[in-house]
Amino acid sequence: MSRLWAAALAALALALGVLPFAANDYLVATGLSLLMWLALTQSWCVLSKMTGYVSLGHVVFYGMGAYLVVVTWQRWPLALAVPAAGIVAALFAALVGLPVLRVRGPYFVILTFGLAELVRYALVAYEAASGTASRILFGAPDLVVIYFAMYALAVGATVLLALVARSRFGHGLRSLRENEEAAETVGVPVVGYKLAAFVLSAAIPGMVGGVMALRSTYFVVDQVFDPMISVTVIAMALLGGGDGPRGPVLGTLFLFTLSQLLWAHAPLAYMLILGTVLVVFVLVAPNGIVGLFETARERRRLGALAREPV
Amino acid sequence: MSVVATLLSGQLLFAALVTGAIYALVALGLNLVYGTLRMLNVAHGDVVMLGAYAAYWTFSGLGVSPLVAAPAIAMLGALAGWLLYRGVIRRLLGSGATASTRLEGNSLLLFFGLSIIVQNAVALAFTPNNRGYSHLDQVHQLAGVAMTGNRIAALAIAGATCVGAALFLSRSLAGLSMRAVIERREAAYIVGIDVDRVQAASFAIGFASAALAGVLLSMLEQFSPFSGFPYTIAAFIVIILGGLGNVAAGLGAALLLGVLETYGVALTSANLRSVLLYGVFVGALLLFPRGLFARRAVRA
Repeated sequence: MSRLWAAALAALALALGVLPFAANDYLVATGLSLLMWLALTQSWCVLSKMTGYVSLGHVVFYGMGAYLVVVTWQRWPLALAVPAAGIVAALFAALVGLPVLRVRGPYFVILTFGLAELVRYALVAYEAASGTASRILFGAPDLVVIYFAMYALAVGATVLLALVARSRFGHGLRSLRENEEAAETVGVPVVGYKLAAFVLSAAIPGMVGGVMALRSTYFVVDQVFDPMISVTVIAMALLGGGDGPRGPVLGTLFLFTLSQLLWAHAPLAYMLILGTVLVVFVLVAPNGIVGLFETARERRRLGALAREPV
Repeated sequence: MSVVATLLSGQLLFAALVTGAIYALVALGLNLVYGTLRMLNVAHGDVVMLGAYAAYWTFSGLGVSPLVAAPAIAMLGALAGWLLYRGVIRRLLGSGATASTRLEGNSLLLFFGLSIIVQNAVALAFTPNNRGYSHLDQVHQLAGVAMTGNRIAALAIAGATCVGAALFLSRSLAGLSMRAVIERREAAYIVGIDVDRVQAASFAIGFASAALAGVLLSMLEQFSPFSGFPYTIAAFIVIILGGLGNVAAGLGAALLLGVLETYGVALTSANLRSVLLYGVFVGALLLFPRGLFARRAVRA
């Protein structure tokens, strides 16, 4: 199973790697947005899947990164601006992390949502007060350059989650998901671990936002803070299930394909299906596609055991 | 108008009271559902929106005044809440293998999914455009303040319903058992309260009050399939400030929010309304996670 999975992942990475040399611009742009969702979902999992602190505000890092790259446009070189977008997002996470991560359960979910909306409306009001409603970006780099920057971010996010999931740090995060008090008692540095996971999960979406901003020739602040981005990331992670990098890949591929089929022709129907997917998975398969695979394998194993003569 | 005159105008106070009373009514239902089940219903505002649509259709289609249709629409809301509890929520509670924190996270996603479904289904069926109608909008002068009839009616009905609910919770046996479930769920089981029935009732009452709030709102302002969500947020702020399951404190918190919002916008600008709302929201969660009026010793 794990060998099959590694082969499938390598095939996907290879296919996405050669796509810009073999396809037209439309397909490359489609591949770019698949990579974007992959990077966002993997990075979200570093905090939210590992610790159970479900963040509904992941978009705030994305939006801040995009905003930074746009306001420094043609003043800072991109090689500086994009990493700076990641750093700013990580700093923001470090700054708000301590008070925010004290709040638990559903309160954490709506707090992260509220925080993202607060930053969004504050920036919108600031832009309105300073007289900039929107910006037009000239001279953005070529699509293929943007594509490979995003490719690197998606691979980076996947590797990050894989490393965290295997590490001692990752086991610590899992332990506080199961029982925070017990984890603290056995010596897991709960506060430090939570904060570290939050900061780690913030840096990548900051850079992703910075890179995606280059695709918008016409930039509006409101759009890069769209809460639907956070919701979609959660839906993808939930659909995938598990807490390793496997689930997000499966969930992202599934939902992305669905959205490509439906979004252009029937956006409302797509939203209806997105909502239904959330409801059905919460009720029927709370452990996602990975969970379904595992249950099926377990059942096969038990079936084989039952057929053996005693 | 100078700042002082703005602050002292009865007009603004009246507007703040109406906003606060509506917030109190919306928050009442959310508070009961969260209190009895520890589930945050993020689709609560969508029930408000559905109530507004129901009032719109009965008024423009059948010519029935929303004030006359209100009890029927509230009953429909109660039925919807009861059916949702029976059909879906109990199923979620039934899968007891999941840890309780994960159940809370999952229930939030479930309601989020429902919210997306309801909003887009309504947009698909009735177009995403804004709707509104005028009813009882003649102006009355009371104590030098100009008030429209629909605002007076909304204030009276929302206020009376909230006071009635507070009395129900503190005086009647059914209300007391509901409070028992809110405060000590396990203990409520032990003393023989039918927790399942209380939960079903809190869903029904919660949805009925949200639908009623929608009816009142539809008389005051325009609405669209997506206008329920800000009310969910406002109701969250109210129950965070007021404290869990504390309906009387929730009333105070709702009025406080109405005053903050109305006066804040009057003193700054309408562009800052969302900043103000979310600022209070984030601040309240960070500073008073157990509510403004919380008695520390009560909850372990």
